Amino acid sequence: MSDIADTQGGQIHHPGAATYLTIAAFLVVLTAMEVTVFYVHALHPVLVPLLMVLAAAKFALVAMFYMHLKYDRWLLTGVFIFPLIIATLLLVSLILLFAYLSNHMAPIG
Amino acid sequence: MAAQPKTLPADQPSYLEGGGILGWLTTIDHKRVAVMYLVSALFFMALGGFEAMAIRVQLWRPDNHALSAATYNAFFTMHGTTMIFLVVMPLLLGFFGNFLIPLQIGARDVAFPRLNAASFWLALVAGILLHLGWIRGGLPDAGWFGYANLTERYFTPGLAIDWWVIGLLVSGASTVLTGLNFLTTIIAMRAPGMTYMRMPMFMWSLMVTSILILIAFPALTIGLIFLLFDRFFGTHFYVASAGATPILWQHLFWLFGHPEVYIMALPAFGIISEVIPTFSRKPLFGYPMMAYSICLIAFLSYGVWGHHMFATGMGPVADSAFAITSMLIAIPTGVKIFSWIATVWGGSLRMTTAFYFALGMLIEFTVGGLSGIMHASAPIDLQQTDSYFVVAHFHYVLFGGVMFTIMSAFYYWWPKITGRMLDERLGKWHFWLTVVGFNLTFFPMHFLGMWGMPRRTYTYGADMGWMRLNQLETIGAFILGIAFLFFYFNLFKSVASREQAPADPWDGRSLEWSTPSPPPAYNFATIPQIRGRDAWWILKYGHAGSRGVAAYMSGQAPSQPQPSQPASVEDIHMPAPSIFPLVLSLGVGMMGLGLIIDWYRIILIGAAVAVLSIVGMGFEYADFGEESHDPEHAPSSGGVDVRKIGMWSFIGSECVFFASLISTFIVYKSRSVSGPGPQILNIPLTSFSTFILLMSSLLMVLALAATQRGDKRWERIWLGGVIAFGLIFLGGQVYEFTSFYHEGMGLTTNLFSQSFFVLVGFHGAHVAIGVLWLSVLLAAAMTGKLGQSRALSVELAGLYWHFVDVVWIIIFTLVYLMQAVPGA
Amino acid sequence: MIGRGSNRYSIATIVMQIAIALAITGCSATDHPMTTLSPKSDLAQWIQSLYIDVTVWDAIILAIVVCAFILAVFVFSSRVGEAAPASTASSDLGLEIAWTLGPTLVLVMISVPTVRTIFRSQPAVAPAGALEIKVAAHQWWWEFDYPDGAKTGNELHIPANRPIRLLLASADIIHSFWVPQLGGKRDVVPGQINELTFVATVPGMYPGQCAEFCGLSHANMRFRVFVDSPDDFAKWDRAQLAGPAAIPATDLLALNGANVFANSPCTTCHMIQGISKGYIGPDLTHFGSRTTLAAGVLKNTPENVAKWIVNPQGTKPGANMPALLLPGPKMNALVAYLEGLK
Repeated sequence: MSDIADTQGGQIHHPGAATYLTIAAFLVVLTAMEVTVFYVHALHPVLVPLLMVLAAAKFALVAMFYMHLKYDRWLLTGVFIFPLIIATLLLVSLILLFAYLSNHMAPIG
Repeated sequence: MAAQPKTLPADQPSYLEGGGILGWLTTIDHKRVAVMYLVSALFFMALGGFEAMAIRVQLWRPDNHALSAATYNAFFTMHGTTMIFLVVMPLLLGFFGNFLIPLQIGARDVAFPRLNAASFWLALVAGILLHLGWIRGGLPDAGWFGYANLTERYFTPGLAIDWWVIGLLVSGASTVLTGLNFLTTIIAMRAPGMTYMRMPMFMWSLMVTSILILIAFPALTIGLIFLLFDRFFGTHFYVASAGATPILWQHLFWLFGHPEVYIMALPAFGIISEVIPTFSRKPLFGYPMMAYSICLIAFLSYGVWGHHMFATGMGPVADSAFAITSMLIAIPTGVKIFSWIATVWGGSLRMTTAFYFALGMLIEFTVGGLSGIMHASAPIDLQQTDSYFVVAHFHYVLFGGVMFTIMSAFYYWWPKITGRMLDERLGKWHFWLTVVGFNLTFFPMHFLGMWGMPRRTYTYGADMGWMRLNQLETIGAFILGIAFLFFYFNLFKSVASREQAPADPWDGRSLEWSTPSPPPAYNFATIPQIRGRDAWWILKYGHAGSRGVAAYMSGQAPSQPQPSQPASVEDIHMPAPSIFPLVLSLGVGMMGLGLIIDWYRIILIGAAVAVLSIVGMGFEYADFGEESHDPEHAPSSGGVDVRKIGMWSFIGSECVFFASLISTFIVYKSRSVSGPGPQILNIPLTSFSTFILLMSSLLMVLALAATQRGDKRWERIWLGGVIAFGLIFLGGQVYEFTSFYHEGMGLTTNLFSQSFFVLVGFHGAHVAIGVLWLSVLLAAAMTGKLGQSRALSVELAGLYWHFVDVVWIIIFTLVYLMQAVPGA
Repeated sequence: MIGRGSNRYSIATIVMQIAIALAITGCSATDHPMTTLSPKSDLAQWIQSLYIDVTVWDAIILAIVVCAFILAVFVFSSRVGEAAPASTASSDLGLEIAWTLGPTLVLVMISVPTVRTIFRSQPAVAPAGALEIKVAAHQWWWEFDYPDGAKTGNELHIPANRPIRLLLASADIIHSFWVPQLGGKRDVVPGQINELTFVATVPGMYPGQCAEFCGLSHANMRFRVFVDSPDDFAKWDRAQLAGPAAIPATDLLALNGANVFANSPCTTCHMIQGISKGYIGPDLTHFGSRTTLAAGVLKNTPENVAKWIVNPQGTKPGANMPALLLPGPKMNALVAYLEGLK
């Protein structure tokens, strides 16, 4: 944690170009894996969980390294994570509620 | 600061003095902004009150014709909309919140004073837009809850609902800006020593309310945007014949609507927790539990929206889940009631009007809370919902709970705000008339509801046996109206009087009472050091509360804490006034107006004005950004610039915004009646776009790194690269949309197309805004205005850019890859 | 009937019952025909029991709060200037745990019967022998379709003591079906079939009303439910299935009226079996047998029928039915004809 320094000026030392390039490489590889999963039929039974894990990994990499949450004060992570959890709960509960509702929907058309 | 002068010394003019009209129009002083909120809210409160009286006159007897059905429907719609969006929220947040946050946490202003002024002007523009129907198109008349599909243009043609949609969108924008401003202020700008557990409870409530605003309003915004698209652009987000369902509106609306109840109630809880200890001369009982219960209420309030929808047929599992979460809210609420009573218990009471209203609130709010437990039980709710029982319930909560508190707050803080006392004798009249009028108006509604009288009915049959109680209620409403006349007269009398109020008339406990009444523009000459809860009480009487009181009782004057003198008042830097907040709001107002009266030139001019004033505000901040260089500016931020906290709050709010859009897409994607589905999506193209956007994020962090090490050349190159990649992404999107259009998939083709275009289109709009933002930064870099010292400007733009990128990561997976799989 | 609540805390329940009875003078269904407190079906009865449960708990909590409030304000505190505060305690762990756990226990007591009632009142499939009636809500009237083909408007007839399953569908926007004495509301949502299942136990007439705001004449979207004995219901059903009542050859006025009707614009929207095929407005085949018209707003009398035909918007603002201005004799004939459609 030595690279969190100098709270006086509000500046936090961010990682250098090497870290950024490594992360970029990871992101490209993960995206390539996603697209591969999409085209390989054998993987389709596990498509949804697999894609979700890969997307979550990319999301986490960008948020932690490019958005510096890994280096910044935990306060900022909290300000972001709480609404993110709420947003996820919203997404899941709306999908569940409408899954029930669609059983009661009149036939379309 | 702590000297309590009877008159203001010449070198400390109050915030109210000077500047003239232009001074008020360009002010960014949180106290002046608060006063402007007050004036507009008092006006709208009179208007909303008039609508309520007209409603009560119409209900005087069965088959009455005092109002037409159309007028009655418009009046109950506008009564609700006005009281919630233009009276209660502006009074609690805009007026009391704005005025008191810096004063109670020991700061000189809020974190973003220009944004704060913009919030006010946007709120005023929203209020005006909501009422322009008086002039053209008629007042909104579909209820404050505006249930789709009644609000579709097919069922409600004309402009009335258009005004309502645009007005609420602008009001929502204003409120979200207030929320992130308040949250940042309370997190970052507390005086040294004021830990979270030493904050006044009002600050706790406003901090949590701000979070609630940030996560609740985006759902309303999305609901309104869908409605706007339906009404203006021919989509079918709420049209059953297209495969959609109007229930979607109810979910989005109540996802906002129930937290909204607590957005109004929590600040009231905070105020009561200030008033009761002051007038009981005791510290607040159970402070930690009070703080935790506020957090718990806020968290639970986001999970109970379904209890407004028990009758819609959500199924027994969802009904049970929402019933139980709704009941759980009663536990922390009960803790609050009991703790307030325990605070009074054993106190030395000073029976002022402010205290009367606070004590009145305890009982009236308890009644409202208990009837709320009934609705939480879904089967009971099926009898009570949409009946007058519910009208009784929420008026006990919102009038008995919140309005009583607002009145208490007026009597409590008015001397601080205006430097004039309110008349206590008139105040007691005001209180008793309010108690009698309020209970006479709303208690009988419980019985009318149990006797089956439905809400929102402009007339009723003579054979239903509802007339007697309705007449009683109308009499009560007029008594309540007279009570409000006493209130307005009291305000008028006080402002007209010349008698100076003391700085600390109630022997207060929190920091605002350490300033003169009214305070100077900069609030505190020196930022106070905080040594405990009830900061001002400790300064006056020392740490041991009881010893302090004993000294007080024996007639000893409180020891006057000696303030450390500033070198000179001129050393205090306050941000310069700005015309941009007002101009920005006018631009936004023009956009709304142009859309409604179908005059596209006005929309474009309005948009240009709005964008230019935002850019102007940005440069103003950069040029006059003394706040960020002032080490006293954000003492509790832990070194993080306030703008970064504000940015992250905004990003948090955007999470809910996109979650609402994405869930709509997932719910609707396969319910199209006809036309193309997800198979139309072009995976190779979007894979490339994804790659481009990811790489633009890489360039963005490289640009930041270059700026931070002062490398001007690479700063410009990387920034230009980000912009170029952003443009390539947008170009890809334009190509994608165009080819869909040629393959027969336009915006309104089917449910899949409209939820796809709106979701992906809004993401594209975010990218476009990012490109615009970065272009302004690049221009600044080219003219040498950026540089190492302003690296934060690049970092903020970067945070936004990366967020847009992570949203795309989600969209690429959920919208493209998962849906387009052949045979999936 | 007190309900299940009486078994567990009978004394409190009885006290509450008396209190409610005293507080509500004339809560009988005669004075207040839309009362929610006079259950006439199993569903309404379950809700009533739950309601009494919660009311008892609420009353106990309110009593505790008010007592504590009175003691705090008037007994265990002093006024400023009298004496120093008796206490400056700012926390008490025991008390705080008590007033967290107490309400939690109460909520458990309430939520168990709540969840039980929720599941009991929303059976996934229709009970055996249930009569399934399709209900269509329109701006601003109600249409009822029976499985045997009978069709009526704004007046629903159902047999007592037989499970009823209403299948609710909307023709335009969201409405809500509510007959307080027979149970709670169920919204009628476009694109969705909602169900309401109950057994009416007491024959009689129960007024209902749309309970979800549905535009201009939301207040005028009323209806009536007639719970008939099984015999009466069968008789009514048979009459509905038959065509319109034959006009006696001696009733020249009504015969003339039939002529007026057949040549009027009424036929565009209204059906009279064998005569017209309109379906936009209510079916009038048995109009004369109904007790009300204009969705329960007017009593079915010749004067009211004439008043309605001449100026529907006067009674029901926004109604789709156009005004029909007929000269006096023609109007009398038309009214006589319609009233004869038993």
